[in-house]
Amino acid sequence: MRSTLRLFLPAVVLGALLVLGARGVGVVPPLGPFLNPGTGVWSLARSAELPRSREARIPGLQAPVRVVYDDRGVPHIFAENEEDGWRAQGYVVARDRLFQLEIQTRAASGTLSELVGARAREADLAARRRGFRWVAERNFGSLDSNSLGFRAARAYAEGVNAWIDNLGAAELPLEYRLLRARPARWQPINTFYLFLQMSYTLAWSESTLENLEVRSLVGQAAADALFPVNSPIQEPIQPNGQSSPRYDLQRIPPPGAPDTLALIAAREGRIIDSALAIRSGDAVGSNNWVVGPRRTATGAPILAGDPHLELSLPSIWYELHLQVRGGPEVAGVTFAGSPGVIIGFNRDVAWSFTNTGADVRDHYREKVDDPARPTKYEVDGAWRPLELREEAILDPSGHVIAVDTLRLTHRGPMMLVQGQWLSIRWTFWDAKSAGAEFLRLDRAGSVTEWLDGWKDFVAPAQNGVVADRVGHIAIRSTGRFPLRPGDGRGDEIRDGSTAASDWTGFLPLERYPTSVNPDQGFLVSANQQPLDPRANAAYLGADWPSPWRAMRINQLLRGDSALTADAMRGFQTDSRSARAEAFVPFLIGATRASSDPDAYRAAGLLSQWDLRYTRESQGAGLFERVMREVYRLVWDELVPPGSSPRPDSSSTPVAVPEDAILFELLNDSTNAWWDNRKTEPIEQRDAILAEAMRVGYRAMIREWGPPSEDWRWDHVHHANLWHLLRIPALSDLDLPVQGGPSTVSPSPGSGTHGPSWRMVAELGDTVRVSGVYPGGQSGNPASSRYDDRIRKWQEGSLDSILFPTRPEDIPAARTRSILLLNPGNR
Amino acid sequence: MRRLLAVGGLTLAFVLGTWVGWWMVPVIALLWSLLPPVRPAVLATALTAAAAWALWLGYDLVAGGGGLGRLSGRLAGIMHLSSPLLILVTLLFPALLAGCAASIGGGFASALSTRRGADSQ
Repeated sequence: MRSTLRLFLPAVVLGALLVLGARGVGVVPPLGPFLNPGTGVWSLARSAELPRSREARIPGLQAPVRVVYDDRGVPHIFAENEEDGWRAQGYVVARDRLFQLEIQTRAASGTLSELVGARAREADLAARRRGFRWVAERNFGSLDSNSLGFRAARAYAEGVNAWIDNLGAAELPLEYRLLRARPARWQPINTFYLFLQMSYTLAWSESTLENLEVRSLVGQAAADALFPVNSPIQEPIQPNGQSSPRYDLQRIPPPGAPDTLALIAAREGRIIDSALAIRSGDAVGSNNWVVGPRRTATGAPILAGDPHLELSLPSIWYELHLQVRGGPEVAGVTFAGSPGVIIGFNRDVAWSFTNTGADVRDHYREKVDDPARPTKYEVDGAWRPLELREEAILDPSGHVIAVDTLRLTHRGPMMLVQGQWLSIRWTFWDAKSAGAEFLRLDRAGSVTEWLDGWKDFVAPAQNGVVADRVGHIAIRSTGRFPLRPGDGRGDEIRDGSTAASDWTGFLPLERYPTSVNPDQGFLVSANQQPLDPRANAAYLGADWPSPWRAMRINQLLRGDSALTADAMRGFQTDSRSARAEAFVPFLIGATRASSDPDAYRAAGLLSQWDLRYTRESQGAGLFERVMREVYRLVWDELVPPGSSPRPDSSSTPVAVPEDAILFELLNDSTNAWWDNRKTEPIEQRDAILAEAMRVGYRAMIREWGPPSEDWRWDHVHHANLWHLLRIPALSDLDLPVQGGPSTVSPSPGSGTHGPSWRMVAELGDTVRVSGVYPGGQSGNPASSRYDDRIRKWQEGSLDSILFPTRPEDIPAARTRSILLLNPGNR
Repeated sequence: MRRLLAVGGLTLAFVLGTWVGWWMVPVIALLWSLLPPVRPAVLATALTAAAAWALWLGYDLVAGGGGLGRLSGRLAGIMHLSSPLLILVTLLFPALLAGCAASIGGGFASALSTRRGADSQ
């Protein structure tokens, strides 16, 4: 009996351990395979660093490929032909970023549930409703197998799969271990999904909805003035011949009567918005600029670019150099999943992009045969059949967890919104290339070839800036811009029952915003309105960010006629704010008449501020807090009735007009918009600004104590680099940074967006380029290359980028690892 | 000397078995505890299993060039533990597996030898 008892306890403990080891409990993964130091999570440490040398085989490879990793972890791929180069690229990207490759494309294809389970069901359904899977299968499926895009995607997939097929136990990324999953084989169509996802992220223009919502509260005249088609501050991408910004300030009509029809439409729009999760955040933006030889110290053109995207770990970008015999010799950054280089340089040309933010997506109210289960829709009195697609969402074990039917008109996917069927037309439905345009840019030998290389690009419309070694510079906003019937504007829900509502075509290439070798000697884009409406009234959109960054960059470039690459690097992290320059004098001026001591103290602090968002700045945090109060007090009419304001700040307005509109109001001190409708007296500008100063100052004291070092910008604001699965321990959070909202190096809001890559290229006898992105080349958190670039990125310093023509040109001291890829059997 | 060799052999068995799978730890401990005549005590078996995993971690530490330290910090954060505690859990897991299995095996072996002794009398 005693011996039985003596066996019982260990048996129970062993049983529990075996269960814990084999199955895990709740969120705890199975501890056995997870903790096993031979093949489990700890073994990731062994694969963290690159070995001195390694050999591998890629089926389909036509000749050996040599890959030399430099001391920054950048692979230099030396291939005999282009397709082998893409195969090697797929291999090295999978080696460093396998999980990122998969999760990004699954998000677009609506198959996240197959990886992470039912928790992603709604996200997958939303992706399917957006028509992503439909358009990918239709468009990629119609590609000629000899086309550049298809060949590249197929070769890239071969490289990725060669890595997956030979994945060692120590090389399975951490995320798969946490999710208890294995990587899926990579399909060529995934490259298309990647561009689809990026296009969706960058299609931010939703002026349709904002205008409707605001109209429903304050009437059409005020709404049109608050969300105008043209920016009141003109510093356009295509130079307008002016040497300073032009202020087209208008008087904003007072708040009018609510528009009930617009209210109904706005409700529809809001439902579309939430159903499709259309709004992608307002913090996406970018800068690029180029200076011609006449304005640089060396006489060589200099180009700078810094796309502002969501900051993540691993980074959205992967840096590499692709050197193909007789083919492209290109370096720069690319997305995990995209063959070739997206932003970068070759031996002759350097380029970068910013997002145009054009209005390229419209909604149509459709008339259907059976509102419950429509099979036809009416156009011009005739019924047309709907295309029906069954969309099944699967879980990791392959079980169907949701089924949806996607209905398609000739315009695109259709969905039921409050009893009405609405379809969506988006330029991306016409995109077929899977990024082939970028591959043509990689090969360009001059500005002219570069411009020609992506003339057929569809979406997302981009402002591409380019320079070549000959000294030419250019910029062009490129992408399909729809031509619409009537006034040509796209900010309304259209009648789908008539073909007369359909797009009539696309803006011809010669009307795209363009400038080549302008007299001013430089070109700048920072997401501002591309065209000065006085020069070219083509409707491209109506959702233009205030041009503060563009104004500051132009100011810096105009102020120096002997620019250097070092100066450009400095400009990229310039901390002075054109927005603060516009607002601070009014804020200080308003307190002169105020008797409130706190408003007066706030004015004292702001008057000492140099308008820079440096880390040590104490004025920046106060200014931002005061501006929040200004928004609350001025835009109170845009808060829907029935909302109950929080005591400290505000309820949320349906939309907040751009600061450029607020600047318009600053110059109209008695405008009715200044009045706070919640208070008895009728206020004017200075009373409201002084009140904002008082409340903002007190809020700062409440949060950070009396003015002191605690008010420093790096105390009150941080950048946050979240891991792709939003796991805090795998993220780098609360990073002190220089720059704030609307500075050239922006760090708005919650600090999750910002410069995702900085590059400066000088195109002299040789091309000299430097760059940095926040993060590191490896997706393995055990690797020193996981986040090794963050500090430099924070400091604003850039690494010199190696661009050798032969493997042996890379100095031994800078060679980290060599990978030899050999042809293998299919 | 024989005992030392036995412990060395057991450590090697745990190291190699771990490569096959974590479940080999209790299997090896169970089999070892049934093997006469050098039958290590339960505690020694448990410690040997922990030592075998510690050797693996040591290998990871050397081969990873600092990766283990970075990894333990990140993993500990995920599991809301401190790094040393996570390492301790990693070593405790095989120790408990091996100890329990050895205890069961030892119990069986004793019961078996007692029965044999009784039968022979």
